[in-house]
Amino acid sequence: MSRRREEGETKAALHQVVEEMYTKLEKGETPTMTLPVRTKLNIDFDKKLGVYKYGKKRSTRDASSLGSAKNLLRALHMVEFIDEMIDNGKSSTLREMYYISEGWGHGKFSTQNESNNLAEDLEIITTSMREDFKLRPEEDGSRIIGNLTINELNRRGEWMKINARDDVGDSGYGVPYNVEREKIELLDHDVDFLMAIETGGMFDRLIENGFDEEYRCGLVHLKGQPARSTRRILKRMNEEWNLPVVVFADGDPWSFRIFGSIAYGAIKTAHISEYLATPSATYLGVTADDIVAYDLPSDDLTSKDIEALKSELSDPRFADGYWQEQINTMLKLGKKAEQQSLAKYGLDFVTDTYLPEKLAELGLA
Amino acid sequence: MSIAEKMASNQKQIAISEFFEKNKHFLGFDTLNRAIITAVKEAVDNSLDACEEARILPDITIEIQRVPKSKDQLILIAMDNGPGIPQKSIENVFGKLLYGSRFHAIRQSRGQQGIGITGVVMYSQLTTGKQTYVKSKIASESSAVEVNLGIDTRKNKAVKYSQERVIWTEGDQIVEHGLFIRTQMKAKFQRGSQSIVQYLKMTSIVNPHANITFRYINSDGELEIENNWKRATNNLPTPVKAIKPHPHGIHLGQLQRMLKDSDERKLTSFLRQNFSGVSSRAAKEVCTKANLSDGAKPKLLKTEQVNSLLDACSEVKFLPPPTNCLSPIEDLLIKKGLSKTIDSKFVTTLTRNPCVASGNPYQIEVGLIFGGSMPSDQQVQLLRFANRVPLMYQQGGCLLTQSISSIDWRQYGLEQSGGKGVPKGPATILVHLASTNVQFTSEAKEAVASNDNVMQEIRKALLELGRNLRRHMKKKKKMAKAQEKFDLINDILPAIAEKASSLLGKPVPELSSTISKIMNAVIMEQNTYWDKDTKTVRVAGILYNYTSRPRSYTILMNWPEKQGAVMIDNDRGGRKETIGLWAWKIETLQPGERANIEFGLDNLEKGDWTETEVFYRGSAEVIGASKLDEKILEEMKNQNSDEVLETMEVITEDIDETISNVASRAMLNESNNDEIQKESFQTTLFEKEGDE
Repeated sequence: MSRRREEGETKAALHQVVEEMYTKLEKGETPTMTLPVRTKLNIDFDKKLGVYKYGKKRSTRDASSLGSAKNLLRALHMVEFIDEMIDNGKSSTLREMYYISEGWGHGKFSTQNESNNLAEDLEIITTSMREDFKLRPEEDGSRIIGNLTINELNRRGEWMKINARDDVGDSGYGVPYNVEREKIELLDHDVDFLMAIETGGMFDRLIENGFDEEYRCGLVHLKGQPARSTRRILKRMNEEWNLPVVVFADGDPWSFRIFGSIAYGAIKTAHISEYLATPSATYLGVTADDIVAYDLPSDDLTSKDIEALKSELSDPRFADGYWQEQINTMLKLGKKAEQQSLAKYGLDFVTDTYLPEKLAELGLA
Repeated sequence: MSIAEKMASNQKQIAISEFFEKNKHFLGFDTLNRAIITAVKEAVDNSLDACEEARILPDITIEIQRVPKSKDQLILIAMDNGPGIPQKSIENVFGKLLYGSRFHAIRQSRGQQGIGITGVVMYSQLTTGKQTYVKSKIASESSAVEVNLGIDTRKNKAVKYSQERVIWTEGDQIVEHGLFIRTQMKAKFQRGSQSIVQYLKMTSIVNPHANITFRYINSDGELEIENNWKRATNNLPTPVKAIKPHPHGIHLGQLQRMLKDSDERKLTSFLRQNFSGVSSRAAKEVCTKANLSDGAKPKLLKTEQVNSLLDACSEVKFLPPPTNCLSPIEDLLIKKGLSKTIDSKFVTTLTRNPCVASGNPYQIEVGLIFGGSMPSDQQVQLLRFANRVPLMYQQGGCLLTQSISSIDWRQYGLEQSGGKGVPKGPATILVHLASTNVQFTSEAKEAVASNDNVMQEIRKALLELGRNLRRHMKKKKKMAKAQEKFDLINDILPAIAEKASSLLGKPVPELSSTISKIMNAVIMEQNTYWDKDTKTVRVAGILYNYTSRPRSYTILMNWPEKQGAVMIDNDRGGRKETIGLWAWKIETLQPGERANIEFGLDNLEKGDWTETEVFYRGSAEVIGASKLDEKILEEMKNQNSDEVLETMEVITEDIDETISNVASRAMLNESNNDEIQKESFQTTLFEKEGDE
């Protein structure tokens, strides 16, 4: 299913960006770079794929101001850099590229965020993935525990069979940044579903309590807003093994967004939503209702929280009845709760009572 | 009689030495650091006052020596080229407290009471038991006199230990007139914001006519610090006249004393003769209100009668006191003083007209400098002055500080939390209060006491500086924007073209049409700076046509013609539009073309001219220049020709005002304020009054 591009194709797509600028200059006009608008105002639901993708709105970045002119120049330098890596069979991290840009004169990045964003812009414009550009992120994916067997191509170029329950320690199987087929093969499993968990504390609690074995599931640690590779491997396991995915996160506006990016795709990466999103994923908790139902210790929503919830109300990804209700309930309640607030009733409450009850609602326990 | 003798003859005395021995903290000798600053201050103030009165351009040298193998002992040497002190007056000047020509005179002076240098002699004696050495030379005598002095504090009398006549030479030159003091005291030499160096630096800002040298010699006998603040002008401050007191500013004791001393036979003539602003009608009105006969004999009035006389004075309207008893520093000299001591990008100064509060004439002068190497994350440096004397302590309790703090500086581009307090930013604010009677909060004379009138006057002056600062910032912002565009077309765009071409293996396209599209404006870049090598001000401007059509303009710039500047290296020629305004016709500029205008200004000093205003005549807007207002220019020309016919002397303020008027109205109607910013040289004014 990978839509990874041939190297020649990637180069050609990147050169389209250069062509656009050159043509404008040749005509005596201001050079431009055209790309989709990257806000929630421009994400549409793709019925065929079941995920949110960028819509038709385009914005043009032109060289009439110093800032955007510099951005255009950076894009050119980046294209040249990628060209060279493709030709020489090298790859680099985004951070390395940021430092390499020191030598790009006026095209030098002033923050790493700039270089990350521009890499994404180029992905979007050329409908490629950054792996095509030989660029990898700094952060790795996350950890997985459960009776799942994976084949990974190691540094020596040998395939290594790893069972994420038997062959790993307490920290689990570490997800590499590249989880595409050339690197990872999904071999076999003996679980009923996958549970994605927001915080490390809760992930470790479930492991210590032996939840994965008792309830026959794979546990995936999200580490907050999940990295691309984490979302990608969830997607692959969901699709290739046909396993349901449930998301267990804090009960606050940011957790809703984490779920949104897993299920429907993130706004920032809407150009590759079909590779990263798992449309069938379900939100398990903590829900706004849970705060009341379980009488959880809670904190007042901050002004930032409220702002985030309100913004979610108009986010097309949260347009369905369930989410509108959850968001409005939380706004009305004015409270949020952490996953670990369940410890109010003891360390085992989450595994003995809360999760079984919630899973039963979904028909998974 | 020589000037020195005349000055000495005015001296009256009051004996309270003992009081001061017990209250040395009032005199500024309370800490070891402060003691030496106070001592220097008294010496310098005396020198400046004496030179001013004798119309001598002061050369003052201060030297501090650490006494070897002593704990906290310093030797202070103060030397000036002033009129000197006649031999018979030396004991009085240095040996009696409250002795001085200035104590009874109503006029602006540095130290208003005579506690000054005597306090130094006394402090020296109290802390080291040593005598103070004084050498004085007056012009009318051929030799100098040398004295060692101590003080009998109970008798308020100086004790002379030796006296000799000597020939005074410095280097191989015989000193014609001057004063040399050497005294030893318990004190500490410090650096920083409350230090001798800071004090002298501040002094030199408000006394640009003085040449001040400072040396510090450490306990190893090595010269550790040497500073010289050079004279920035050869014009002495306007001589101040002593005025009679004004009835609104008089106190009971003073009135009683004046009555007692008076030989007038009639009360009305006493009032008219001894006070300023009293007409015969007003004198009669006072007598009527006080229920006293016009002919009452002043000497014989009883205390109650004096009281009712005083009350009557406060009820009657008088003419304001004359204000020629004040000696402001004047805008330009403040500007010079500030520019010479503090490195900055922008200076604005203002001298308000004299005012009167409670019968006391006073005048406010302010200055603000911004940018340069001053730190932007710290509080603005405040320079406070009263009658040209720096105030270094008790900043918080001072009216001058409170006036600054009461202004919301945020609207003028400085940071200030809550819109109150001392603002933050790369700036220095100067406030000078000149008055015949500066009210201080205490005897230490470090903080000016509250007064609503004076505060309002200071605020008005500061607000105007604020507006100038805001205008400057706006202009800077606009130029920064233009600069961004320059960077864009000069650096980024060619880089984009070059990189895109090389990636595609195609030729680099011609950019001029793209550049015109991006800029789509005519831009004037202009820079005024001081050229160290040639010692001239350089003005360099470039006019760019970044539009798609040919353009032609007349570019005009103002320059300090009347201040005696000479325009040099003006290769483009052009012609004089009017006094202080030069015009260059720029023939058709094709799209993408540029024109240079460059010239130098000779006969100026650093800091005299830091900003040049650029105007244009032409249809399309020029970024970085203001459209010339022809109507105002016309007025200005008429004014010029009238005055040229009259005399060549009086052309100063008005024309400058008109120029800035043209400027401020043309500044895109940025602010509606009618008050006009004047930045004039007032040298002719000085000379005129000096001749009287």
